[in-house]
Amino acid sequence: MRLPGLLLGPALLVNLAIFIAPMANLAALSFHEARPSGGVGPGPTLATWASIAEDEYYVELVTGSIGVALGVTVLTLLAGYPLALFIHRAAPRWRNLLMVACISPLLVSAVVRTYGWMVILGDTGLVAAMLRFLGMAKPPRMVFNLTGVVIALVEILMPTMILCLLAGFGRLNASLEEAAASLGAPRWRVFTRVVLPLSLPGVLLGCLLAFVLTVSSFITPKLLGGGRVILLATEIYDQAIVTLNWPVAAALSVLSLAVFGLALLLYGRLLRVVEA
Amino acid sequence: MAGTALVLEGLTKRYGTLAPAVDALSLTVQPGEFIGLLGPSGCGKTTTLRMIGGLIEASGGRVLVDGRDVTALPPHRRDMGIVFQNYALFPHMDVAGNVAFGLEMRGMKRGEIAAKVEAALDLVRLGHLAKRRPKELSGGQQQRVALARALVIEPSVLLLDEPLSNLDAKLREEMRAEIQDIQRRLGITTIFVTHDQAEALAMCDRIAVMAQGRIAQLGTPHDIYEHPASEFVADFVGRSNRIAGHAADGRLNIGDLTIDAPAPVAPGPVTVMIRPHRIAFTAGGAGWNEVRGSVRRVTYVGDVLACEVTAGGAVFLVEQPTQPGVPPPEAGAEVCIAWRVADTLVFPRETA
Amino acid sequence: MIGRAAHRALIAALFLFLLAPVVLVIPMSFSADAFLVWPPSGFSLRWYTAMWRETKLMEAARNSILLACLVCAATLVLAMPAALVLARGRFRGREALVALLTAPLLLPTIVLALALLILFVGYGLIGSWPGLLLAHLLVALPYGIRVLMTAVSTLPPAVEEAASSLGAAPWRVFRRITLPLMLPGVAATAAIVFLVSFDEVVISLFVVGPELTTLPVAMFRYVESRTDPLVAAVSALLVLLTLSIVIVLERAVGLGRALGK
Repeated sequence: MRLPGLLLGPALLVNLAIFIAPMANLAALSFHEARPSGGVGPGPTLATWASIAEDEYYVELVTGSIGVALGVTVLTLLAGYPLALFIHRAAPRWRNLLMVACISPLLVSAVVRTYGWMVILGDTGLVAAMLRFLGMAKPPRMVFNLTGVVIALVEILMPTMILCLLAGFGRLNASLEEAAASLGAPRWRVFTRVVLPLSLPGVLLGCLLAFVLTVSSFITPKLLGGGRVILLATEIYDQAIVTLNWPVAAALSVLSLAVFGLALLLYGRLLRVVEA
Repeated sequence: MAGTALVLEGLTKRYGTLAPAVDALSLTVQPGEFIGLLGPSGCGKTTTLRMIGGLIEASGGRVLVDGRDVTALPPHRRDMGIVFQNYALFPHMDVAGNVAFGLEMRGMKRGEIAAKVEAALDLVRLGHLAKRRPKELSGGQQQRVALARALVIEPSVLLLDEPLSNLDAKLREEMRAEIQDIQRRLGITTIFVTHDQAEALAMCDRIAVMAQGRIAQLGTPHDIYEHPASEFVADFVGRSNRIAGHAADGRLNIGDLTIDAPAPVAPGPVTVMIRPHRIAFTAGGAGWNEVRGSVRRVTYVGDVLACEVTAGGAVFLVEQPTQPGVPPPEAGAEVCIAWRVADTLVFPRETA
Repeated sequence: MIGRAAHRALIAALFLFLLAPVVLVIPMSFSADAFLVWPPSGFSLRWYTAMWRETKLMEAARNSILLACLVCAATLVLAMPAALVLARGRFRGREALVALLTAPLLLPTIVLALALLILFVGYGLIGSWPGLLLAHLLVALPYGIRVLMTAVSTLPPAVEEAASSLGAAPWRVFRRITLPLMLPGVAATAAIVFLVSFDEVVISLFVVGPELTTLPVAMFRYVESRTDPLVAAVSALLVLLTLSIVIVLERAVGLGRALGK
């Protein structure tokens, strides 16, 4: 078949030029070393990898990023699940509207949404004003620290989580819940024995995406963290743009890809367990 | 429209290393003939139809239309009208647009197209709905549009892929008659794929019963029903009592019973099949097989009375039309049932 | 019944939480104050007028619109044939090709951005139109292919075969049947790809130059250095733009279908 090749060719070519080639190049670069004078030395060498492995700062960076990502993932799930279930159970004519309202923030730029959180969480923002109104003399700081970053990330990832959960709820219909109730299960038992198990694949996918997106999140920690919250992605940016140490940036990129791979592997395992 | 002869020669479709979906199938269709491909799902009937239409490539064999080999032609150059199971009407065109499409592709002039479309829609009694969109039509109406669209190009062969399976029972019978009527009037060579034996029996000149990619039996509806060539055909077409037995000395032993065979039969294990409605509550005579037994269960289905009768260790299902003034037998009653020897179907049984 | 009321309140709170940042930029954009203060001491249009005088921002906005249009066109041209083959084809390696072509969506954008930066520096593509176009294609193309593949696979079954059996050659089947039926999907793809490009910031940050920048990058830089309601005015306009595109998408194919898998 020649025609399919001809139709696929251009897209594949572009993919090769701007995806495969740069990624291979990037991986290779992590086996070079930055010259003190700037620029990249000849390779291959494990020097960059060795310096990262020995430096406690990077070890903490990786474990810290994973920790933050796990925390954000759990919070996003907790915030997204009730909303998703509510939308799923809503009457059809409301369901669509609610769904659009919930997932259209996905299409708003991360810069705008992060800026929105600065309006809310800033020292003179909405929350501070409300706390002062309630009599708190000195409201706690919520920007330029981890608290603000986590709050904003949870909100920014909620639409993705809700989308995954709704897809997962596809297998759940009202008659199943009614059947369980008719068999004498109280509401919370219906939830733990029927609703939750059936929605687990959606939960897993949502968690995978939330985790992965947090590890690679950049705009929110950069703007709301004010330089005090350093995650893998912000460090890659600083190394690449500020310090101009490309080999270290490349090695950190490969590391974050490895974290990704592990998350994906774990996801696959868990999915097999819940679907079995 | 003069009918066209269609010949399939050793038509084969293989997918990878699996058993062939269609296995060296040969069939000669007379001009103007209405042939049914009948079989259970997965028997290769739709694959065969799609190979005839050129929608899938044959792995081997040839398709001949009036002696011309069309096997290598793409579908748009085969000149065959296809009616699809789900109708496949173009949702973005109105009824007239759908019917006109094939004529436009043939580069026909506007005026001529309009006239032909009108005639085709009249043929299927839809002239008044020409401006409707497909989704504004009922299932039966969509079906008729699909038929008109396939017929208006005056194809050499008409291919019908389970065209009635999406209609409800009452409409199905109506459309059955209508399709048959139009086919006769136009004299168009037609291949009709179905899994519904009643449809095939009612509509087709000849039926090819298919199993596992081959033709198990080819014959008129009467042949297929009265003289099934194999246990499979007898079982698939119509309903049957199916009883394991043994042939010895030219007669048949089932359980403790011994009955006559319609023709000489080789000794060995056999399957005996009898249509339930050919068994009567009567004493037999010459040329009849007669059995005494007791009624186990009676089911009343309105026009038909179905009784299970146990006799000599075997169970016979007997179906008789209900009759006025005749009380149905009661469970436990001793009865005499009989059927003509000629209605006894005997097939050698493979022993594992 | 208390449980029910609490449940209602929880749902309402979560909805508010989800929509708050997007909604609140709108009142903030009318603030009369010089800084981000809630509640604003008064309302005015001063930031909307100030916005137009911020030449860097305005130039970046023009660039972003032009770039998004270019990315949109290039994506459709590249993705349409690929999506047709991938959604229809029954060849070996099809799944692998789909995975390869949509992989950039799964990987961290920061990593993709760095990879492009390193490659582009060597070819002098940093801060150039071809560079930006290619960089945006990296994320736009996978979106385009995915949404178009969904559009192809939801075409009514057998209509193309029907057209073909009625005598339409493959190209005419595409023009008369496939393309018109795919139009909603194409519109959805165009809308999504436009937004993806228009909102893209991480990759842009790495490949823009001093002479050529995009709106999100300019906003990012602005917010990094100053916190006044000017960006709220820009954001409010962007929210309105997104809202109108969401409505187009919802009308054309349903938002869930366009974004989901």
